[in-house]
Amino acid sequence: MTNVPAIEVRGLTRVFESRKGFLFREVSRTEALRGLDLTVEPEAIFGLLGPNGAGKTTLVKILSTLLLPSTGTALVLGHDVVEESAWLRPRIGLVLGGERGLYNRINARDNLRYFADLYGIPPHEREHRIDEVLERVGLEGAADRRVEEYSRGMKQKLHIARGILHRPQVLFLDEPTIGLDPKSARETRKLVRSLVSDGVTIFLTTHYMFEAEELCPEIAVMSKGRIVARDTVAGLRQLVGGDRTLEAEAYGFEDREVDAIRHLPGVSKVVSEEYGPRTRLTVRLRSLETTPDQVVATLPGHPELAVRERRTSLEDVYLDLVEEEAP
Amino acid sequence: MATADVPHVSRVRATEASLRLAFQMFVADPQWLIPSMIAPVVFGLVAFELFQGAGPDFLTYAILGAGMMSMWGQTLYGSGWAIGQDREFGTLEPTVQSPTPYVYVVLGRVLWNVVSGLAGGGIVYLVVLAVAGAPPALPDPLGFVALFLFVMLTLAAVGILFSAAWVYTRYSGFIQNVGEFAFYVGTGCMFPVVILPFWTNPIALVFPPTWALDALRYLAIPGYVGFAWGFWPDLLGAVATTVVYVAVAGAIFRRVELHVLAKGNLSDY
Repeated sequence: MTNVPAIEVRGLTRVFESRKGFLFREVSRTEALRGLDLTVEPEAIFGLLGPNGAGKTTLVKILSTLLLPSTGTALVLGHDVVEESAWLRPRIGLVLGGERGLYNRINARDNLRYFADLYGIPPHEREHRIDEVLERVGLEGAADRRVEEYSRGMKQKLHIARGILHRPQVLFLDEPTIGLDPKSARETRKLVRSLVSDGVTIFLTTHYMFEAEELCPEIAVMSKGRIVARDTVAGLRQLVGGDRTLEAEAYGFEDREVDAIRHLPGVSKVVSEEYGPRTRLTVRLRSLETTPDQVVATLPGHPELAVRERRTSLEDVYLDLVEEEAP
Repeated sequence: MATADVPHVSRVRATEASLRLAFQMFVADPQWLIPSMIAPVVFGLVAFELFQGAGPDFLTYAILGAGMMSMWGQTLYGSGWAIGQDREFGTLEPTVQSPTPYVYVVLGRVLWNVVSGLAGGGIVYLVVLAVAGAPPALPDPLGFVALFLFVMLTLAAVGILFSAAWVYTRYSGFIQNVGEFAFYVGTGCMFPVVILPFWTNPIALVFPPTWALDALRYLAIPGYVGFAWGFWPDLLGAVATTVVYVAVAGAIFRRVELHVLAKGNLSDY
C-alpha cells in the first residue's frame, strides 16, 4: 500500500450552464459541486451516498477525466485529473451503467475486444483477459450473443467487465446495482469485494443504504454539491444522534406530547411524520436511559399506541443528514 | 486479477480496432444498404441519363462524377453518423475515457467509410458498364490507380474534419446535410465547376476532392479541360488542401475534446 491517497479533492466546484432561446438567449447556471473536499485512502471501498442531483455523478465524471471542474483540484493516484489525464486513463476504470454505453448490435466479446485494443491490452493476452472478465461477471455463457438480446442485469455485468478489463488501480462505480435483480446485485457486491482484495480502490456511489453499509468501511453523504458527513456507519449513527431508534405510532400526537418525548433523557432527535390518519414519531436515542415503556408512559390516552425499538439504520442517518440540508 | 502494468497503446491497433468495429456495426445494421448499395445505382443511372450521347469520354466523366458522389456521401454520412451513433449509444463517454486519443478512433471509422465508399464507386462503375458499355481504356492505368487512392485520402481528410464537428456538438447533422449537397454541386462531381457562377469557385477550391477529382479527370480523359491550370497545379492544390485539412483536424481535436469535457455534453444525444 502506498502513502499517496487514491483520491484527493480540494475546493472542487462545477457549474453547468445551459442556454435557451435563439434570439434572446437565456443562460441558467446550476452549481453541481460547491467547494468539495475529500480524501480516499487506497485499496478500500469508499461509498458515496446522496439523493438525485446531489452531484455524485458529476464528481465521478470529474475524477474519471470525463468532465473538467470549474475550480479546485482533483488528484487520483497523486495525479491531476485535468493536467495528467493521459497518465491516469489507463490506470482508472469507470462503470456508469444503465441501458446505454454499449454497442448493442454486436456481441459482448466484440465489445470487449474493441475496448481491449483501445486500452492497449497486448494481442497475445487479449482473448485470455476477455474470457477472465466474462467469467468473473458470469457472462461466459452469453459472450457471443448480441448485447441487444441482454437483460438489464446482463448489460450491467458487461459494463463492469469492460470497467475491469484493463485491470485498473482505481475503479469508479456509479450505482452499479441499480435495476439489478437481488441475485445479480448480490453477485455484483461479491465481485466488488473481490476486486478490493486484488488491490483495487473502489469509489462507489449508490442509492441503496444496505449496499453501502455492507460494502463500505467509510461512507460520505453528499447533498447539494457538498459532503455533509463522512464517517464509518457507526460514526454516522452517532453523528445523527445515536444508534437506537424508537418509533411510536398513533392517530395524532399533541405538540406538548412531542415536547415531552423530546425532554426524555438521552433523546437527541424527534421527527414527526404523517401516514394517512396515523402519525409516526421517530425518536433517536443516544443512550440506554430511555426505554419503550417510558415512551408509552409519556403518551397516555393513546390506546392504539404502538412502540417499537430498532437499531438506527443507515437510511435513518442518510435521511436525517439530507433533510437537514433541505431548504 | 491483480492490477496490471500499464501497456503501451498502439495507435495503429486502436485505429484498426475502430475500423473493425465500424465494419461490424455496418454488417449488423441493414439501414446502411441504402447509402452503400442503392444510392450508387441511382447515381450511376442518373449519370448515364445525363451524359448519354455526349461521347465515350463523357462516360468516363460520368463514372468518375457519380462514383465521387457516392464515395462522398458515404464518407460524409458515414463519418458523421459513426460519431453520432456513439452519442446515441452512449459509447462516446467510455471511448473518450480510454487512453487512445479520440482522433485515432475517428480515423478508423473514416477509413472504413472510405473503403465502403470505394465499394459504392465500384457499383457505379458496374451500373454504367451494364447500361452503356465499357468506357475507353485509361491512358495511364497505374497513375490513375495511384491518384484514385489519393482521392480517397482527400475524402478521409474532409471526413475527419466533419467528425470533429460531431464530437463538438450533437447538432452537427445540419452541417452534414447542407455539406452533402453543397459538395455535390460545388466540387464539380457531376457538372464542371467552370460552368458554375464565378463566385462559387473559391468555395469549390476549399474542398481537397475538387482538386483531386479534376486531376483524376485530366489523367483519365484525353483532351479534358477543367480548371485552366491543368493536371499538375490540380495535384498540387489537392496535396496542399489535404495537408491543411489533416493539420487542422489534428490541431482542433484536442481542443474539441477539452471543449466537450468543459461543457460536459459527451452523453447528450
